[in-house]
Amino acid sequence: MKIHINYKEFIDKLKEMFDKGDWISCSNSHFFKLQSINDFDKVELTTIRPTEPIKIFLFQYRSNIIENIKKNKTLFLLGVKNCDLQAIKVLDKMFISEYIDENYKNLRESIIIFSSDCPKPNQTCFCAILNSKPYIDNESYSTDINISFIDEKNLILESFSEKGEEILKNYFSNFAQPTKTDFEKRDSIRDFALKKILEFNNEFLKEEKKEKYYKTLKNTYELDNVWQKESEKCVQCGGCNFICPSCYCFLIREYSKSYNEKNRDRVWDVCHFTGYSRVAGGANPRKYKYQRFRNRYQCKFVYRYENFNFYACTGCGRCIEVCPAKIDIRKVIRNLLLAKGEEILV
Amino acid sequence: MSTYKPKNFKILKIIEETPNIKTFTLKPLDETKFNFHTGQFIELTVYGIGEAPFTPSSSPYETETIDLTIMRVGRMTEVLHSMKEGDIVGVRGPYGKGYPVEEFKNKEVLIIGGGVGLAPLRSLILTLIERISEFKKIILCYGARTPQDVVYKYIFPKWKKIKGLEILRSVDRCQVDEWDETIGVVTCLLDKINVDVKNTVAIVCGPPIMMKFTTLKLVEKKFKPQQIYLSMERNMSCGLGKCGHCQIGSYFICKDGPVFSWEQLKDIPEPFE
Repeated sequence: MKIHINYKEFIDKLKEMFDKGDWISCSNSHFFKLQSINDFDKVELTTIRPTEPIKIFLFQYRSNIIENIKKNKTLFLLGVKNCDLQAIKVLDKMFISEYIDENYKNLRESIIIFSSDCPKPNQTCFCAILNSKPYIDNESYSTDINISFIDEKNLILESFSEKGEEILKNYFSNFAQPTKTDFEKRDSIRDFALKKILEFNNEFLKEEKKEKYYKTLKNTYELDNVWQKESEKCVQCGGCNFICPSCYCFLIREYSKSYNEKNRDRVWDVCHFTGYSRVAGGANPRKYKYQRFRNRYQCKFVYRYENFNFYACTGCGRCIEVCPAKIDIRKVIRNLLLAKGEEILV
Repeated sequence: MSTYKPKNFKILKIIEETPNIKTFTLKPLDETKFNFHTGQFIELTVYGIGEAPFTPSSSPYETETIDLTIMRVGRMTEVLHSMKEGDIVGVRGPYGKGYPVEEFKNKEVLIIGGGVGLAPLRSLILTLIERISEFKKIILCYGARTPQDVVYKYIFPKWKKIKGLEILRSVDRCQVDEWDETIGVVTCLLDKINVDVKNTVAIVCGPPIMMKFTTLKLVEKKFKPQQIYLSMERNMSCGLGKCGHCQIGSYFICKDGPVFSWEQLKDIPEPFE
């Protein structure tokens, strides 16, 4: 179902839905929980993804893994961008394919996503060069309803799931269908955003074609000197791991009082930390900083690509913003491509 | 989340193998049976201290109890070594894929172990002994640092009597008259054996450096990468391929291993570090 609606009417309708669950704005510079219906007026749908990673709603920084999380209240995520949908795709693959993580599954099933297009990309955005787009269409990963923009005041709402279809039917049924002109206007906004991202990245990388990043990063073991140089400035703060919406590694902490009072939790872990892969006795498969640095890139572009056939990097650019050493993932990849003699500007 | 919740096991018996290695016999408190495939590992919890992965050294045909042979190397094993018979520990698992025993049928099985690395291999050997007629022959090459560091000293006399099982042992160094078998690193035993390389599988387990040089030696002896099986160890922590700690290339040791063929690992950088 697709409808045309103006912005004010849309916000008013959301206000009617306020008590259906908890509402989180996923589009302003920071996530925030809507405390009252008036908070809907603070939501800015056209900004890029928030600073924090979206995983905080599905796979919290610290969570008990002995007890089951029971989540009955619906959580509405409003304004989720395509890069964050891509992150949810990675997390779903890790936590609810093969082996089902019950706590993740419970949280995941309680979520309803109102995604939105991303018409104003930032300098650090690079989704478009990773086979992704700054807007949501049929190729995007599961959302319930998508919001796209016709102009400053008018929107298109589009359902992508049964849940979304039901919401549109229940709350938005008396709105007209979008016209051909509406779609054309929307498409030009989408094209503009896409071109903007390619333009921002022009000095780094061109669009990914023919598994170029995978193939390049897979065989870089002989390029130790490049990895060493690129990782030189890294202070191993773990910022990029924590802020990454698709980094999912965790550490299990055991602190049971006794064998009948079991207690353990899991916290996010960081593959840049020295102790991450160290084993008892002190041996460490990734002793040196450049090995751990390389591992993060290869995990995203090689290992998970081999496992899932898609990159575990979403192009959200959070790691570029967070890095105190100003390490830019795009520059690192560009320098590797150059070192391999790949033509990057074609 | 029952997956991460260990079941309580009672320590029935503790055998002191060497000054820093002990074998613990565990039995489920609720008297249930514990089934595993040889080569699979379990996560052992010392409550309040930590959890670590170990491969049982007992036969999978024994389902009442499991044996774990553990070296004292870290914080958790330090506490474990101070525990007494009757104490309670936690076990979850088994996890991973074990030894592909079916693929060893009608072949010569060459088992090479170093130090405490004999633990998972003991489970394999006990499995092979149960059905010894299915294999052409079994050769065990075992190396330890000194005669004191040899584990399962009480088992070798029994094993040496078994027809179809050939045993060669070495120690790196020893006092005069202390050892009447080979002196040298375990790879030198490989020069003493007589196998039909084309119809042999080699199974290796031991410290990283030993695994590395043994693999190189086997490759030199014209073993194909698919004929060499390695028991890999990293800090497998969740056991389900989720937490990321035991990642090796695109594999997770806990889920895709811990037994790998050299074919799977040969292109991964520093697999033995």
